Amino acid sequence: MRNSQVKKPKRLAVTALVLALVASACSSGSTAEGTSGGQTTAADSGDDTSELVNSDIETCDGKIDKDVTIALAAHSGDDAYAQTVDDFNAGPGKELGVTVELVNLGEESYEDFITGAAASNSLPEIIDMDGPFLYNFAWNGFVQPLGNCVSQEKVDEFLPSVIGQGTYEGELYSLGSFDSGMGLWAKKSDLEKVDARIPESSADAWSAEEFTTILKDLETSGVSAPLDIQWSYGAGEFRPYAFASIVQSGGGDLIDRDGYQTADGFLNSQGAVDALTTFQSWVNDGLVDLEAIDDNNFINEDASFSWVGHWKYNDYKEALGEDLILVPLPDFGAGSKTGMGSWNWAMSSAVEDPDAVWAFIDFATQAEQVKSIAAFEGAVPSLLSVLEEDPSFSPGGDRYLYVRNLQASPEVAVPRPQTAAYGFIRNEYSDVFADIVGGADVEETLNQAVENIDADIESNEGYRPAE
Amino acid sequence: MMFTAVFMVGPFLYAVYLSFTNRKLLSPLPTRWVGFENYIDVLTSSDFWAALKNNFVFSVVTVPLQTGLALALAVLVNQKLRGSTFFRTTYFIPITFSLSAASIIWSVLLNPSGLFNTVLEIVTFGQFTPDWLNDPRYTMAAVIIVSIWASVGFQMVILLAALQGVSQDLYQAASVDGANAWEKFRHVTLPGIRHQLFFTLTVTIVLSFRLFDQVYILPPKPGGPIDATNTIMVEMIQASGNNQIGKASSIAVLFFLIVLFLTIFFRRFEPKDY
Amino acid sequence: MTSIKSAKAQARRKSVTAYVLLASFAAFFLTPVIIMVVGSFKSDERVLADQKSLEAFSPTPFEGLENYQQASETGNFFTSLQVSLIVSFMIVIGGLVVNSFCGYALARLRFRGQRLLLGLFVALIIVPFEALLVPLLLMMSEIGWTDTIRAQFLPFIAQPLYIFLFYSFFKGLPGELEEAAMIDGAGPFTTFRKIIFPLARPAYASAGILTFLYSWGQFLWPVMIARSEEVRPLPLGLTFFRGTPPVQWADLLAYATAMVLPVLIVFVIFQRQFVQGVSNAGLKG
Repeated sequence: MRNSQVKKPKRLAVTALVLALVASACSSGSTAEGTSGGQTTAADSGDDTSELVNSDIETCDGKIDKDVTIALAAHSGDDAYAQTVDDFNAGPGKELGVTVELVNLGEESYEDFITGAAASNSLPEIIDMDGPFLYNFAWNGFVQPLGNCVSQEKVDEFLPSVIGQGTYEGELYSLGSFDSGMGLWAKKSDLEKVDARIPESSADAWSAEEFTTILKDLETSGVSAPLDIQWSYGAGEFRPYAFASIVQSGGGDLIDRDGYQTADGFLNSQGAVDALTTFQSWVNDGLVDLEAIDDNNFINEDASFSWVGHWKYNDYKEALGEDLILVPLPDFGAGSKTGMGSWNWAMSSAVEDPDAVWAFIDFATQAEQVKSIAAFEGAVPSLLSVLEEDPSFSPGGDRYLYVRNLQASPEVAVPRPQTAAYGFIRNEYSDVFADIVGGADVEETLNQAVENIDADIESNEGYRPAE
Repeated sequence: MMFTAVFMVGPFLYAVYLSFTNRKLLSPLPTRWVGFENYIDVLTSSDFWAALKNNFVFSVVTVPLQTGLALALAVLVNQKLRGSTFFRTTYFIPITFSLSAASIIWSVLLNPSGLFNTVLEIVTFGQFTPDWLNDPRYTMAAVIIVSIWASVGFQMVILLAALQGVSQDLYQAASVDGANAWEKFRHVTLPGIRHQLFFTLTVTIVLSFRLFDQVYILPPKPGGPIDATNTIMVEMIQASGNNQIGKASSIAVLFFLIVLFLTIFFRRFEPKDY
Repeated sequence: MTSIKSAKAQARRKSVTAYVLLASFAAFFLTPVIIMVVGSFKSDERVLADQKSLEAFSPTPFEGLENYQQASETGNFFTSLQVSLIVSFMIVIGGLVVNSFCGYALARLRFRGQRLLLGLFVALIIVPFEALLVPLLLMMSEIGWTDTIRAQFLPFIAQPLYIFLFYSFFKGLPGELEEAAMIDGAGPFTTFRKIIFPLARPAYASAGILTFLYSWGQFLWPVMIARSEEVRPLPLGLTFFRGTPPVQWADLLAYATAMVLPVLIVFVIFQRQFVQGVSNAGLKG
């Protein structure tokens, strides 16, 4: 039995590779037609999705062979998740003969647990992982593409950012019940005090110079360190998630996304250096709050801006009410950019009956479940239909900007690099960003980081898909 | 013996082997023999040399300072004064602190507005109150202060025992010869305790190259700020944390060679018996 | 007369200087300890705010055990305490048994390759454990032992340094005692227990104290191998606690106090043995 578990993904991987090659060859010719059908503004990713579903990977065969119990390795055991599992087991699961068991691994050691489980051939069937884990998991063969389990109609229901995040090497591996929103929370009264223009969308975001002036004006008006950047979160996923957008908005990126073989000319591009130098100057001028002991300085102290994700919305709203507004992150030259992505569902390679696993993933990404899970997380629901119903995410709503940015993925909301090198890049960027905030020479630091990233890619033979 | 074989000899040989491969903790790629690639990689990276330099700076400052202080404390406590047991206990207390706990306490004291700066402000009339942990120029100094605080008691106790072993007759003989206090110290005390002095010196040197706990906990990031307190151990941890087992192994082997070299080097200065 | 007087005055001056020095060093070593204990009873904001004045030394406003409760609930102090106790207990007790038996065997038994083995142990003393951790990590991950408690103590039980310590100690004991016991019909284990062990108490105390201090403070290896809450020993638990915003200094100081206090109390009670144990290590070196 173990043998079959090991062999299967290998066979799949080979097929996947061949199909990906064919698919990409086809799609290059069909780009023009693809755009018209896209229901979102992100024409490119809309086009990507069509090739995903055309792929003939027969993950599912349409029937569940016998009654099974499958394990779900979740990052949280809280109400919304437990409820989803209970509802599934009592509803469609009962009909199909599928029982899901929730194992709560928490967030901190999730990655290590999956790695360990793979080493001992005891992977759970359903993996609920943070977005960027996917690429390394897929490269290592821990997860398998959803292939023909998911229909094009289903894919079209999602925010394009969620589909982009779930894609590796041209195949869709995962679907999320929610996505994350990233931006700048501001106090309207403070902005009015300094006569600042209030941008409505990422297209008319403040330029970096404009934002510098606003920060300085605010400081002159008596606000000490007006920009709170959640420095207390420390090293880890938050830094690349929240601050890679500075590099991207300067016209650079964490890595060359064409083949993912080098960061040279991207992470250390002139645009990236300039953008981070500007950011550093805010720190040097005392405009950035690095002393905050938690993520509540925006409401407890006098900070005018909070550079943070969707999860602070409820606290902020409660404290500030109508004074709270969401504005796009500043534009460092190449347009306002923002991070995105969060936990999502994938199928491990240790699955005997993919149809059974798909039944659950399908269930967990339906409107009702998406609504309750996203509400619980305080996040952006992943389904367009759910978003439309919620006034907070609709035009005029407090969090509409999130939706617009995510719909314009990858142009505005940029997925983290879809490569197995991401784990290394994350650590490197988190480190580099801390150094730059601490006063290090920007260009020198970025060059060193590029050197390290390229060396790591090389020592992993390009992180090319294994055969 | 089984334990030793399984947990020491085995791993060490394994480390040497791994250092010549591109082994990862986790990778679908087969492990390959890469020759000296890891060593070249490490030895040509400015990070590694910066770390090594930090280890040297730490060592060069801490070893004499800490040993000197330990000797001074031992001599002070060894005087037959009332309450010397109390003082001995006091100086030894930090030994019972894990370095992690010590680092947390000192994070408070070394805060820009912490007690340490409050005292400095009085002593230097407000001239010198640096941000110890966030200003790269001072962080190593902060690490040194914490390290000395946490471990000088160790050397003191060893030297104290040595002092008590020096025969009183020798001192009396020296007094008869008209030696003053310094001459007695120079010609009776130091020769009498030279073995233990040498022992504490070598141990402190080797320990200073293992520097890790303090530089991991005290600064805003391990080895930070920027690379101000980066050490060989931090480099090793980062490589292994980044899945680069081969590279981390080569750092481990280099570390071993440095320690081995230092041990052999200082053996030559070991005091011989009369 | 006058010369005796001035000599007395000089002696007094000397001891005054000595006391001033002793006291100022005492201040340097004790202040952090006092700040830790005092801070653990204050409110979080006051810990840093009070550092500017003598209020740093007064536990006001007194918060009782509030911070300790936080350290236990948010910081999971007791989970980590349990891990640390298991790890230290296994390393100390296991180490004493294994290392002393090894040392005894090398000192008393005659077998082929004994000298070679002894040489090997002496050579291994200079191999720092830090150099072995990377391959150990890989080995642990291959057998699926990462993130376990046993991975934290098993590799640290046998220590060549202590094997050598015991070896030289046993070597120094006269063999006649054991021969006499053997003649009286005692087996090797009875001999060991009845004759050798009582004699070797100082060596055991010394090795035990040193391994305890080492294992209680161990940090590098847990950083590499322990992730989940359930397997974090105290030093690692403390750093994770600090890494969880908001950073509450009083809670952290409470955690540190609770972690250090048991050792401190044991130290004050067994002070003589502690000091003896440590200085023995120096003499042996």
